[in-house]
Amino acid sequence: MPKQKLNPLPAAAFQILLALADQDLHGYGIMRQIAEQTGGRMRLGPGTLYGSIQVLLEEKLISEVEPRDDEKLGHERRKYYRLTPEGRKLARSEAERLADLLRVARAKKILRGDYV
Amino acid sequence: MSEKLYALLLRLFPSRFRQAYRGDALQLFRDRWRDECGFLPRLRLWLDLLADLAIAVPREHSRAPIQRPVDGVPSFHFLEGELPRVGALVLGGVLSLVPAAAAISAARLESYRLLDGRVAFAAWAQQRTTIPGAPVSLKIDAAERHRVIEAAATNLKKSYVDPGIGAKVAEALLTHEENGDYESLTDAASFADAVTKQMRDVSRNADLTLDYFPEGIPQRPVGPPSPEQVARYRESLKQQNCMFEKIEILPHNIGYLKFNFFPDLSVCEATAKAAMAQLNNADAIIFDLRDNRGGYPATVAFVAAYLFDHPEYWFNPREETTVQSWTRSPVPGNKLADKPAYILTSHRTFSGAEQFTYDLKMLKRATLVGETTGGGAHAGVFHRIDDHFGIGITEVKAINPYGQNDWEGTGVEPDVKVDSADALSKAEELARTKLRGK
Repeated sequence: MPKQKLNPLPAAAFQILLALADQDLHGYGIMRQIAEQTGGRMRLGPGTLYGSIQVLLEEKLISEVEPRDDEKLGHERRKYYRLTPEGRKLARSEAERLADLLRVARAKKILRGDYV
Repeated sequence: MSEKLYALLLRLFPSRFRQAYRGDALQLFRDRWRDECGFLPRLRLWLDLLADLAIAVPREHSRAPIQRPVDGVPSFHFLEGELPRVGALVLGGVLSLVPAAAAISAARLESYRLLDGRVAFAAWAQQRTTIPGAPVSLKIDAAERHRVIEAAATNLKKSYVDPGIGAKVAEALLTHEENGDYESLTDAASFADAVTKQMRDVSRNADLTLDYFPEGIPQRPVGPPSPEQVARYRESLKQQNCMFEKIEILPHNIGYLKFNFFPDLSVCEATAKAAMAQLNNADAIIFDLRDNRGGYPATVAFVAAYLFDHPEYWFNPREETTVQSWTRSPVPGNKLADKPAYILTSHRTFSGAEQFTYDLKMLKRATLVGETTGGGAHAGVFHRIDDHFGIGITEVKAINPYGQNDWEGTGVEPDVKVDSADALSKAEELARTKLRGK
């Protein structure tokens, strides 16, 4: 998959990287974590979720770890995903880019305060 | 039954995707089905799934590699190697209509919710991810237009720098509304453009704007920043060397300073002074503002002061003209006041960086090399009308000795137009030629 797929980084992919920032999660866990971190505004459907996971795996931004059960969800083997150092780096640079945008928003006086 | 239906719909995905994730997708469906009980949650689940299909199916098909048959070897072609069947296209079309309608009504609901003004900034930032294809310009009705015009008129009368003209512009807008001139403007962005043009026509002031933000305008944070936030901000500025990225002496003793922000002097004065001191013995100086997005006006004037041996009127469209409006030149010990100066610009050069560029160009104190700048003077003070509309009103009288309009919307034209990537080598060449001619 060419790098351009993630440039610019789609919102869903960025949310997945953020969801995995502090824990390994399975697909449904990622979906729930994203819903939580966006206050319920973003609920990834299976197509978007696994499509993004596939690209992130191909780009080695996340990796698959040993499948295991999630006791809370019954006895079903689940694939778990983990953020790689490259994934963390990309998430950080995306966050910095957004911080930059925020600065522009301030400059435009959309946000008031000590501008620009 | 529901799972079977969803399993059937999964067939719309290319085989490569199905092979890898069909089981996972069904597992996720089962998880949500189990956890989201009740009519409304289930309805939402189905809307989510259909919206997801409408977005993800075409994307996965466009991603799927075309199967290349190997000569002489019998091979099966999968869907992605062929055009989809007519039946599949019809089914896909019908399925796309349902979520599209759902998304449009969700977008409407979302914007009405926004209009009541309780959605915080973070929510605003995330909100745009929930609407496929966002942002789109909203349709607005007569009531909303009336509300915006009323608020714009009130703000103009109250805040415009010249009360007479403010009232005149306000009246003009109200008259346009009365005459029904806005009735055909049901698209929010076109409405904002039309009002902006009318305000500018009456006031002859290009800084007056009615802005429409499809993504919504974030709420102002409540209260001043906490001491921790302030400390973090100062710390992060220092860590980044106050955004002074490169300070170098190039061949032929040409000083080069790349800085990407005009930082707060209360944190960065020492860094700024040190940077200028390092270049003090240069024979020419290049300011690289190609990535500079602006900063504090005091810092803009502070750096400019090094280029003059006497106080120079320093035009800032955002501030009342006062005794502070002169550069604090000469700077003790400074040797750069008479050295050739060059400014590298790009279309990213913005705001305070454009002030630096514009003023030095007008004062004929620097040669601008690169691209036309971004065009953000934003001399108007921004007044929020609601979550989508805001009005920029000029509230201060700054004397622009170089003409009526600043660089708002137009940017600052370089003296030497080159691609921003080539600006440094061009400026070096100009500096070398100039120094040789001495």
